[in-house]
Amino acid sequence: MRGFAKFLVKRLVALVVTMSLVIAVGYVLMYYSPGTFFSSANIAAALGQLRIEDPSLYNQYLHEFQSRYGLNQPLITQVARYVWHSLSFNFGNSFENPSVPIMSQLQKALPISALLAVGSIVLAVVVGVPLGVVAALKRNTWVDSTLTTLSMVGQAVPAYVLGVILVLLFGVWFPGVLPVNGWGSVGQAVLPVVALSAGNVAVVTRYTRGSMVEALRQDYVRTAEAKGVRHRRVVMRHVLRNSLVALVTVIGPTFAFTIISTTWVEQIFSIPGLGSLLFQAFPDKDVPLAITSVYILCLLVMGMNLVVDLLYRVLDPRVKLE
Amino acid sequence: MAAITLSPRAAVSAQRRSSQAALAWRRYKRNKLAVFGAGGVAVFLVVGLIGPWVAPQGYQQSNFLYANQPPSLRFPFGTDGLGHDMLSQVLWSFRNAIEISFGATLVSFLIGVALGLWAGLRGGVVDMVVMRAVDFMYALPNFFLSLILVVTLGRGIFPILLAIGVVGWAGYARLIRGLVLGMRNGEMVEAARALGATQAHIARRYLLPNVTNSMLIALAFGIPFDLIAMGALSLFGLGPRPPLPSFGNMIAQAGANVLGYPWLLYFPAGIFAVILLSFLFVADGLQEALNPRGGS
Repeated sequence: MRGFAKFLVKRLVALVVTMSLVIAVGYVLMYYSPGTFFSSANIAAALGQLRIEDPSLYNQYLHEFQSRYGLNQPLITQVARYVWHSLSFNFGNSFENPSVPIMSQLQKALPISALLAVGSIVLAVVVGVPLGVVAALKRNTWVDSTLTTLSMVGQAVPAYVLGVILVLLFGVWFPGVLPVNGWGSVGQAVLPVVALSAGNVAVVTRYTRGSMVEALRQDYVRTAEAKGVRHRRVVMRHVLRNSLVALVTVIGPTFAFTIISTTWVEQIFSIPGLGSLLFQAFPDKDVPLAITSVYILCLLVMGMNLVVDLLYRVLDPRVKLE
Repeated sequence: MAAITLSPRAAVSAQRRSSQAALAWRRYKRNKLAVFGAGGVAVFLVVGLIGPWVAPQGYQQSNFLYANQPPSLRFPFGTDGLGHDMLSQVLWSFRNAIEISFGATLVSFLIGVALGLWAGLRGGVVDMVVMRAVDFMYALPNFFLSLILVVTLGRGIFPILLAIGVVGWAGYARLIRGLVLGMRNGEMVEAARALGATQAHIARRYLLPNVTNSMLIALAFGIPFDLIAMGALSLFGLGPRPPLPSFGNMIAQAGANVLGYPWLLYFPAGIFAVILLSFLFVADGLQEALNPRGGS
């Protein structure tokens, strides 16, 4: 148990250090990027007139803005303040909506993205594992080769391309069957989750097939067969169970890519999740919103990796945590 | 009857001996999808090279009188809202797709090889620091770091390939370091050394073939991955700056008004998907052909 506590502390420290670095580097990069929020297209259009007609009022406004967000302090102070505030989940307000705390924007967006990502992983396991088992049991037949080819297609085509193809399919060719944009009803979640899941189903199928084939060759399988255990039972108890344990390790990297894909799919289907926050923040150089969104997305991925490692240890007692 | 004679089997196998490359090529050819993929990649490269010359129009040329035309003889891929000929837009897009995907992969590869070699050969503190950095890059969703970098560096071809490239080196570094360590302490090298092979011979006949195969496979998987990242930047308005056409821009824009003008999507999305598939088939075929022990 002491080893476990030590592992947890070590990982949490690594998490905090990594996140601090991400926030600091992200902030410095945004600081040195050309142009500012004020010169971005939207704001320049809104305030350009004022700048010409009343420069002193414009400058006063600019000054107030800068002191409000601490932009007139030295860079090192800004970065340190920013890292500390982010780590303590005190995100302040975005440039674009000074009256709305970023936290309340996150509270709306995060559950949506999390639901999409987790839903897609669950669907991938539910569909991918049986497909992988079938492919492994029928290996080197047409069933296997069809499934293998299909899973390659699923892995090659990114979620946003699949998303627009689905929009084409259900928006243009079969309109009215399923809604192709927006968020709020169960129906509106179907296509985004399908677009997200194809790649994950492919990964899970491929992985399950591989580890099943490997496990079928093991001595203990031959022993079980020789003892006269029924084939079905051998597959379910001896082979599949051992294959599934290793599947947990694939979920980690898969989840990371799913989080990235989620932000893409949200853009395609106009879903107000974290991806839409990125889209608001980046083109307009809304630094607090941009950094906070990236921070939360990275935190999701790293948190999931930690959970996966813990789960792996619970499922497979041979694994030692370090 | 104590004379040592060559068994017939040995004679046959001696006769059939052919180079590793020929064997790999024979294995590759057997995989139909891989051959199809190689064809796709070849077309991708050729169109990238000659596309701008054979395009009926320049990418900036537009005619508002012919805006939003469905595909016809005159405009085989239709026209967009500004009256751009979509065929020309697609043909021009191949070039920056190649520049960015190959360039970004090369950047990742060079950084990865340099750091991996350094860590593997030096060991000690260097190894520890590099591997910590690898863990750091591995733990993060790279795409979001690319977003920040594009904001900083700008939306030209070179800045974008740099933004994608500098965050993707962790896999290459880990691969190279693993290979170096495996070689240095591996049984194969030890056996060769015991038989009296010189360092140069070991490097040429044992180390290099192993390393090049693994690298070829890694590169073949890396290029389509960077192509996907490049297209995705456009979804956040951070792809190559218009008016330069790119697959990502076309897909992101057509996605917005797909209900009115679906043909804007057919060709860019379809062709983009086929390119990505071709690369994956090639990568998979290479893995099977060059590394027959690994994989299923």
